[in-house]
Amino acid sequence: MSATGFAGILVILLFVGLIAFFMFINKDRKTKNLRPIPAYEKIIKEINVAVEDGSQLHISLGRGGITGPESAAALAGLGILKQVIEKSSVCDHPPVASTGSPVISILAQDTIKGSSKAISISDNIKNPSGELIGVTPFSYAAGALSTIRDDNVSANILTGWFGNEVTWITTAGERQSSPTIAGTSQLPAQSVMYASASDPLIGEELFAGGAYLGAGKVHQASISTQDIVRWIIIFIILGSVLLNIFGIDVFFESILAGSA
Amino acid sequence: MKINLKSPFSTAVAIGVGVIVLAGYFVPAITNIRFILLRTGLVLSAVALLVGIINLLTVHIKKLGADSENSGYSLILVIALLATLVIGIIDMVQTYLSGKPNFQMTSWIFTNIQLPIETSLLAVTSVSLIYAAASILRKRMDLFSIVFFFVILLVLLGSFSIPPATLPFLQVIRNWILRVPALGGARGLLLGIALGTITTGIRILLGTDRPYGE
Repeated sequence: MSATGFAGILVILLFVGLIAFFMFINKDRKTKNLRPIPAYEKIIKEINVAVEDGSQLHISLGRGGITGPESAAALAGLGILKQVIEKSSVCDHPPVASTGSPVISILAQDTIKGSSKAISISDNIKNPSGELIGVTPFSYAAGALSTIRDDNVSANILTGWFGNEVTWITTAGERQSSPTIAGTSQLPAQSVMYASASDPLIGEELFAGGAYLGAGKVHQASISTQDIVRWIIIFIILGSVLLNIFGIDVFFESILAGSA
Repeated sequence: MKINLKSPFSTAVAIGVGVIVLAGYFVPAITNIRFILLRTGLVLSAVALLVGIINLLTVHIKKLGADSENSGYSLILVIALLATLVIGIIDMVQTYLSGKPNFQMTSWIFTNIQLPIETSLLAVTSVSLIYAAASILRKRMDLFSIVFFFVILLVLLGSFSIPPATLPFLQVIRNWILRVPALGGARGLLLGIALGTITTGIRILLGTDRPYGE
């Protein structure tokens, strides 16, 4: 096994160990010590609004599949979809989900069926869909417009993999005067969302949905783990800078090269 | 046999395949198994595309009957989808009969219909992006939005390349913004996304997150 492979396994084990550790020490804790993220507070608020006025939420899961680098964003979006469905179980109209990936469409439909069954929505008409609305970036964006323009949609939640075409979706939401909560893992689309969505999710906030929407202790443990590893990375970066400033990095490189 | 995606079997398959594919990155001995599983996944993704298209067609056929203002769009979609499908099948049959690739009609559709439409939509996207950038201060008048807006202005002003619009000091500022704060910020965001991606993957591997139902 190469040194890189060994380091990779160590990183995975570090994450698993930290998640298990934080799950163990937080098992009796009732309160959550999470910094407020306005976008998730907005989602909870919009769920309550949908319950009160009989409107429905639109959850757009992007066009990322599960076999590429976009899969994590798509899976995070599915997790948020599940939580939103469970929390809006008393709505007259359950959320409507749309996607640009056939695989995520199937997974979304399965998530919806599983969640609807768990919360006893037996009426098929009331069950939300997990519709494939287009397989190219622009066909997906154009297809999402008809859902956003539905008068009964009170808010749009965009979580998944998007490109610059997401500006179509966010702008349509703005024209309908409906709030748009948006997050993705693609940097150019993040800047577009920051400029055009009413409540953007920045950076890794997309992956924190489970912890903020009450998906369980493993999600809270994941957040704590990310924070610990983030501090480790910060110390490594600062340490590298100091080593570089004092020229100690050259000394270590010489030792490793066997010339010192 | 009815396969229930929510069964322990599907969870075991998901975790097992995930662990093998992950281990394949680190252990050279099982790299071949990783490739076999990934190729199988890609083939299944292609099948899922077919399922998704059938789903799309079904949904829009149902919308045709509904009293909806969008039923006209659904009709166009159904006609276009079926016409493209028929033309594609004809091309495939011709290819099979002639023994050499012959996808002229399909290529014509992509070149003369899809490509111009997508190109024009791309042009509209640039207008939409400008609108989004211009309206940010109307949406959120906070420090970060103001910084965002003026950075856009500085970068745009520093991008002029035709005299007399070129302003050398703005080009220097633009280059510094792109090389230092923008690059640093992008790296910071990517590190955060990488951490989130790893924890999401680990939750799937541990079976605590099951996007295939419960």
